[in-house]
Amino acid sequence: MILGLETSCDETAAAVITEDGQILANVISSQADLHARYGGVVPEVASRRHLELVTPVLQEALRDAGAELDDVELVAVTAGPGLIGALLVGVAAAKAIAWARRLPLAAVDHLQGHIASLYLQPEPVPPPFLCLLASGGHTMLLDVQDRATKAQVLGTTLDDAAGEAFDKGARLLGLGYPGGAEIDRLAREGDPAAYDLPVARVPGLDFSFSGLKTALLYAVKELSADELERRRADLAASYQSAIVRALVEKARQAADELGTSRIAVVGGVAANSELRAALPPSTALAPLPLCTDNAAMIASAARFSDPIQYPRYLGLDAYASTA
Amino acid sequence: MLILAFDTATDIATSALVSDGEVLGERASRASTVLEDVDALLRQASAQTREIEALAVGTGPGSFTGVRIGLSTARALAFALGIPVAGVSTLDALAAGAPGALPVVDARRGEVFVLRGEPRVLEPGKLEVASGTICVGSGAVRYRTLLEAAGAVIPPDGDERHVPRARFHAQLARDFGPAEAVEPLYLRVPDADRNRG
Ligand SMILES: [Zn+2]
Repeated sequence: MILGLETSCDETAAAVITEDGQILANVISSQADLHARYGGVVPEVASRRHLELVTPVLQEALRDAGAELDDVELVAVTAGPGLIGALLVGVAAAKAIAWARRLPLAAVDHLQGHIASLYLQPEPVPPPFLCLLASGGHTMLLDVQDRATKAQVLGTTLDDAAGEAFDKGARLLGLGYPGGAEIDRLAREGDPAAYDLPVARVPGLDFSFSGLKTALLYAVKELSADELERRRADLAASYQSAIVRALVEKARQAADELGTSRIAVVGGVAANSELRAALPPSTALAPLPLCTDNAAMIASAARFSDPIQYPRYLGLDAYASTA
Repeated sequence: MLILAFDTATDIATSALVSDGEVLGERASRASTVLEDVDALLRQASAQTREIEALAVGTGPGSFTGVRIGLSTARALAFALGIPVAGVSTLDALAAGAPGALPVVDARRGEVFVLRGEPRVLEPGKLEVASGTICVGSGAVRYRTLLEAAGAVIPPDGDERHVPRARFHAQLARDFGPAEAVEPLYLRVPDADRNRG
């Protein structure tokens, strides 16, 4: 069994999976409610909460799996990228458990983790494929050739991540946090063609969402409070459809350039219902519970990585960014 | 009783292995490598990991990240080894290593943590010290000029009294219990909360 830990942003998560990729437990303690009043993730607040939650979540995962620590053969933890103070809580706990039991430790890259959410049972998606990773922290197009090699980045966002664009848009519309789910819900009652909100045309396979946010800001500013109340669903629908259009267009373009018809989508934004509907039917979508940050995907990635043997991981550090 | 003690709250992480009051070994490094030290301490003492009977962990105050690395390590070790934990304030450990002295830990952003009845955070310029008071710790070193002008006596920078030493955490540890009951001593709310007023 593999025990996974993930604390890179605002979910404290632990999971237990088998060596062949079956999920036995996948516990996610979201801090979204805690961060809602700030309208976004506050690193120090997140780190404090991770410390409170990390061992209880870990114990819950083992309980859910009906497993003991004795059953664990490998510990996997997100080493980066992410919020450094948050990552260090998980890395410290994972190192301590691995050391106490003399187990090997896999230091997993968070982005590889998202991709590896596709390798879990019951319907694993084998590479090669073009992967769209869209979340609150990342918007990337990745060339995934095999499970073990680090995916090649074909395009990324030049400013806001797609999930961040949803959050900022939600705030402009006076909706709650996290914004993706709120906009998704409200957009169903609105007309996506009501407003022409342009997404910046960026050459190549990169993305840009900051102009779209500005366009929404101006559209909102023109409306009185009453009008905004009436047009809110239309604005949400138009805004969402602009983000989805940009994601789908660039994903198709990237797939064409790679000469593949296989597209996979992972990350928190992969839970968006319009995005799921707008993609070609052959698209592999990460299962809903594995879209947001979770530890099952981290344990999954560990299956295809070279674990670090005792004692070489004792000085392991976390990293905030890949660059 | 074999106690493993460590404190990663300040720039110098300290660790010690103490058996019935006898210090078997003590090491110093950084928070990210404290387990390398712990591993070396056990090997030097020819002790097995499962022979550790209790943990004493520094709870700060100090660097927020450092405090969390220590507590996260302690809680995970306590769970994996099935042993109890006692928390010891970093200021108390400093005080135990320098009897009669006032511990002053650098809190960054122009402030220090001090032990004045209870742990507190304040600007070093507002710290009133009786003439001749010995001040020790990273804050005493950093604000040497200011504190000396106020009448404090500060040992040379390299003096070991400036650094918390885990042998004192082991010595001060009482009330070993569940790891979750050992709380971090932040003494400051996150900026986001402070700005909200
Ligand atoms: Zn993520």
